[in-house]
Amino acid sequence: MVHKKYTKKEIAVGVLASLMTIIILTFYLWHITENIRLGYEIGRCENSLQTLREEVKKLEAKKASLLSLERVEKTAREKLNLTEPKEGQIIYEDF
Amino acid sequence: MRIFEPKAMNLPTDVYQKKVRKRTRILAFLLTVWVIGIFIRLIDLQVFLHAGFKAQVVKQNQDRTKILPERGTIYDRNGKILARSIPVPSIFYSPPSEEPFELQMKTILRLEATLGLSAKDIERIKSRLQKKFSFAWIKRKVDVDTAQQVKALGLNGVSFREEPKRFYPQAKLAAHVLGGVDIDDKGQSGIELAYDQVLRGKEGEVLILRDVKRREYYSEVLKEPQSGKDITLTIDENIQYIAQRELEKAVLENRANWATAIVSRPDSGEILAMASYPAFDPNAYPPSPEQEINRAIRYNFEPGSTFKIVTASAALENRAVSLNDIFDCSEGSIAIAGSPIRDHKKFGLLTLPGVVAHSSNVGMIQVGLRIDPDAFYRTIQAFGFGRKTGLDLPAEESGLLMPPKKWSRRSLPALSIGYEISATALQVLQAVNIIANRGLLIAPKIVGAVEGSSVIAQKESTPPDRKISEKTADTLIKILEQVVLEGTGQAAWINGYTVAGKTGTTQKIDPELKRYSSFKHIASFVGFVPVEKPAISMIVVLDEPQKAEHYGGQVAAPVFREISSQVLRYLRVSPQKSLMKAALTAEPGREGER
Repeated sequence: MVHKKYTKKEIAVGVLASLMTIIILTFYLWHITENIRLGYEIGRCENSLQTLREEVKKLEAKKASLLSLERVEKTAREKLNLTEPKEGQIIYEDF
Repeated sequence: MRIFEPKAMNLPTDVYQKKVRKRTRILAFLLTVWVIGIFIRLIDLQVFLHAGFKAQVVKQNQDRTKILPERGTIYDRNGKILARSIPVPSIFYSPPSEEPFELQMKTILRLEATLGLSAKDIERIKSRLQKKFSFAWIKRKVDVDTAQQVKALGLNGVSFREEPKRFYPQAKLAAHVLGGVDIDDKGQSGIELAYDQVLRGKEGEVLILRDVKRREYYSEVLKEPQSGKDITLTIDENIQYIAQRELEKAVLENRANWATAIVSRPDSGEILAMASYPAFDPNAYPPSPEQEINRAIRYNFEPGSTFKIVTASAALENRAVSLNDIFDCSEGSIAIAGSPIRDHKKFGLLTLPGVVAHSSNVGMIQVGLRIDPDAFYRTIQAFGFGRKTGLDLPAEESGLLMPPKKWSRRSLPALSIGYEISATALQVLQAVNIIANRGLLIAPKIVGAVEGSSVIAQKESTPPDRKISEKTADTLIKILEQVVLEGTGQAAWINGYTVAGKTGTTQKIDPELKRYSSFKHIASFVGFVPVEKPAISMIVVLDEPQKAEHYGGQVAAPVFREISSQVLRYLRVSPQKSLMKAALTAEPGREGER
């Protein structure tokens, strides 16, 4: 078996090439992983945004329900003891 | 490693090399066979089994899901939410393939009490499971608490999906206008039906990629969903509330069958409130057929004395009478084609304003008989009777108006007092709006705006159509004011305001006797306020009031007054001080009228 002797330069180039390959491969793998991780993150954020939007809509509808005129009148009359103003109690500004 | 060297193996170099070469060849052969094996397997996987595996991967990792469009929201004229879709959980069952049918049904039956499943529901699910369907709805659109209870049971194969549910935060408010939707959010009545296509939007589609744990890591919208458009009605929730509350009160007080009231702005034709009693809660749609009828537009009735406005208009417009003509109403009845038509009392001699103010049938028949039938018919048509008003609500009735060639000897006198013609409450209000608008017809409308649409702009650009002269309308307004000041409509008088209106009391046909009943009436009042520049016009109709008072002036006019006074205050239409004084002075001497 004859062993070829590599020069220092050849060894350096080889090591450098190997390192570059490893770095590129590592970067590529990191890039793929990061893409997937960000994909998860975006998915979560979009779901969260959608949930929050729906929550806002639900709350707006609930607010409208709580402010329904029937409920407001009932509260005004029964809890706050308010009554309709009588004719003489109304002052018109543009008189 | 020295044991593999020739010296260590005690072999000559050439023999050793031969042996190594032989072993190398064997190893190379085995490796080649292994590589070829792998290669063949790869070809098998990539070529022959490719389609099957791809389908499996797609099934496992990719989801194509429909994106349900968001149904548009319905607002009142002030931007208050009247109807909105919100996501709620729906419960479905994907039967695990390894489970036997009995076990699957056991799972379903465990939910029977929690979800209140009916025998029909159980049968439906059972049928699907027997047919090996991989999906069956258990119960759709349940409340969040119920869904939590079901989740807590942790049943195998029971899953949840969010679906939009129509929510009407004000419950019964404007229910007949809004209508309702079915379980799939499809419009079934009211605005929900009339504008279903606009509100509904279009479905979209999304591609979702999932990993082996079914976690979503990539999604791409393949087709954007188009949300339904929002609609703004001309309805004002406050006015609608006042109208519904007062109407309900009146029905209960008078023990009426049903009632309807419409409040509008005559100068724009906008409907501010449209109430019908009995009402229903669209959150629990569908209601009973009786409750669902929007009687403002879907019930035809003989308008009776409110129609005398049209007769008087036709008479004045066609110069058939003058304001000073005297009509003899002293007998209290008049014979028409052999049968008498009566007044509620003997009035003596009356002019046209007196005939209208006291709602004399005898006088108005004499007025009607002076009008040329064809001219009368044209005027009735001009007021919009016999055809739909074109309001944006489904199932509007057009009423019934016979042409003169089909009239009998009774028809002209009967028409003069509002019989032999049927109309909806909206048509009668539209006719009065023509008077309020000084002879101009402005079509009624209930939809103010559709998001991003020019539909409303087109409608608004339709110019008002003159139906009677301004002079005739002005004369009529003065006469209708007299109705409220000293005639049958005094109960509609509002302190500080000028009110014009007309009462109506219609005898109904008894279906058993097949003739007009003396006990069954429809009481109505139609009018507008203030006379100078009408802020609102309104019609109130009550069916079969059971109390001793059954006249429009006694039953419907007070409802008009109650609603109007509150609405005017809400709209900040101030009373006139001079009128208030005059009215207060005049009040004790007011005649108790019909």
